[in-house]
Amino acid sequence: MSRVLLTILAFVFAFPAFAEKLPIFDAHIHYSHDAVQLTPPEEVARILREAGVKKALVSSSDDDGTQKLLAAAPEIVVPALRPYRRRGSIGTWMHDPAVVDYLKERLAKYEYFAIGEFHAYGDDILTPVVQQMIAMARERNLILHHHGDREALDLIYKTWPEARVLWAHSGFAPPGEVADALKTYPRMWSDLAFRSDMASREVLDPRWERVFKAYPDRFMVGTDTFAPERWYYVGSHAEYSRAWLSQLPDDVARMIAYQNAEKMLATK
Amino acid sequence: MRQLLKSTLAVCALLLLAGLARAEVILTPDEIEQTLAHGPWPAVQAPDPSNRVSGNQRAINLGRRLFEDPILSRDGFMSCATCHQPDQNFTEGLPRSMGRKLLDRNTPALLNLRAHRWFGWGGDSDNLWAQTMLPILHPDEMDNTADNIKATMERGPYASDYRLLFGHAATQSSETVLVNVAKTLAAYQETLMTGNTSFDRFRDALERGDALAASSYPRSAQRGLKLFLGKGRCAFCHSGPNFTNGEFHDAGVPYFLGPGRVDAGRHAGLKTLLSSPYALDGAFSDDPHKSGAWAVRSVIPTHANFGTFRVPSLRRIAQTAPYMHDGSLADLDAVVAHYNEINTERLHADGEQLLRPLNLSSQDKEDLVTFLKSLSDD
Repeated sequence: MSRVLLTILAFVFAFPAFAEKLPIFDAHIHYSHDAVQLTPPEEVARILREAGVKKALVSSSDDDGTQKLLAAAPEIVVPALRPYRRRGSIGTWMHDPAVVDYLKERLAKYEYFAIGEFHAYGDDILTPVVQQMIAMARERNLILHHHGDREALDLIYKTWPEARVLWAHSGFAPPGEVADALKTYPRMWSDLAFRSDMASREVLDPRWERVFKAYPDRFMVGTDTFAPERWYYVGSHAEYSRAWLSQLPDDVARMIAYQNAEKMLATK
Repeated sequence: MRQLLKSTLAVCALLLLAGLARAEVILTPDEIEQTLAHGPWPAVQAPDPSNRVSGNQRAINLGRRLFEDPILSRDGFMSCATCHQPDQNFTEGLPRSMGRKLLDRNTPALLNLRAHRWFGWGGDSDNLWAQTMLPILHPDEMDNTADNIKATMERGPYASDYRLLFGHAATQSSETVLVNVAKTLAAYQETLMTGNTSFDRFRDALERGDALAASSYPRSAQRGLKLFLGKGRCAFCHSGPNFTNGEFHDAGVPYFLGPGRVDAGRHAGLKTLLSSPYALDGAFSDDPHKSGAWAVRSVIPTHANFGTFRVPSLRRIAQTAPYMHDGSLADLDAVVAHYNEINTERLHADGEQLLRPLNLSSQDKEDLVTFLKSLSDD
């Protein structure tokens, strides 16, 4: 029997509960300046709706993209404020004092649910710019969407122990280390964006399966539209997510697909 | 007499010194070791076990004639050679191929194909005969059907050649005839090899420890080679004797095809590969051991596949412009400039970490291009 037929049969017959499209909360979306130029917000909104993306945590370099998309799809977009205007600043923004003024200006003007996704490794967190950014988030009780390593994560919690942190890409850490971080920080969640190690050809990795079952309320999925063309991967990513999630118990799959993100937003 | 002898010896010494100065090899021992890994060339080529007519002269001859004959297209509109033009190193010289309409990708050169693991810019196939079927059937290219191909092999001008190789087409399924025709085309394409280059002679001289022979490789090319191996980080992907790791990477080239259309690259290629009955683990492979099937059996799709393309070989690169999957870079100067000033905003922070702006000087860029040109037969 062909590989394709086997895959289709496995999907259709083993997981009837997923015959209907599982809604997705995409927790890692960017609509940055170059994407805005190439794909209008109405088209982006159409892509999200067609993919069955119920909600999306959107941050952009610069923030105008997020605001445009919010206007086009207010029922989907959960706005987050990225602290830098260009992706090329991911390694330098923490040394740029102008970032603080930019954050103040945007936070005064618009409503956000998170600050991020921001890139910071190790003691980047201790720089005055990052410390001021965390202070601004703390004042407004905003989620921190952090892309970085465990050392930086530890320093964020040392700075603000009650922070709600969404660990972008789960730090690209192996499942055991992700589990340890989740155990250490009960107010931390993990996004699985741009990771493919959870499943191999739609077969769930047993190490990840154990962690998902141990922490079913702490994970969420995300596409990471880091280049403009990747908007056209949102649909494929949603299907990929549904395929591997279908191997988990229905309730766990629904939590990871969208409920955990909603719960994270509702947590005070 | 003594004076004459002294003068002669002095002239000889001067000539020797001049020769030694010219004979300088500027590579470090580590760079020499890396250079040796790009050979020897030509590589030893064994027949393809998945293709029972691989290396068969009768099949090669038939494949060559079919390659250039538009009879394989639905209406005689085009042949393989319409895009893969033999006098242009089996490329077309255009940014994107022109089939029945403008296609999405640059026509890749059909050279040294036996060394490949994956075929096509997106790796749609894991063997050459399967890849060869795709343009025959594609509606924007030759737009033919297996039934038509069978009819041609039953009654057309190649019926007797076909029969001698595979038996009567009339007794075979259309699909079998199509695969057999593709196997003759593959047998021919496998013979399209590039020859020895000035780089290969340099590399072989280094292996022999023949500094004098190595010295004939221009100093500018040596400087370019040093950049290729070191600062330019080119050799990480363009590795081995065929100057490719055969895999798929994001080279920072945009892949929009127009409003609302993107070229998904390896992401789409894997979908085709994994649903193909013609992969090396399938029934159409003639290899009873399925020896090459490990790759298709073990390949794992990842999110990073989207918008990545197969690393091309650099052999005869100077003669196969334009470059990249969409032919968007007109010449080697443009390719070097692309990597020198690469837009890292397009790349994922945890993706292609090798790529970052190189800060090459004008001399560096010139040297790198000189080296790349030395990978063509001369």
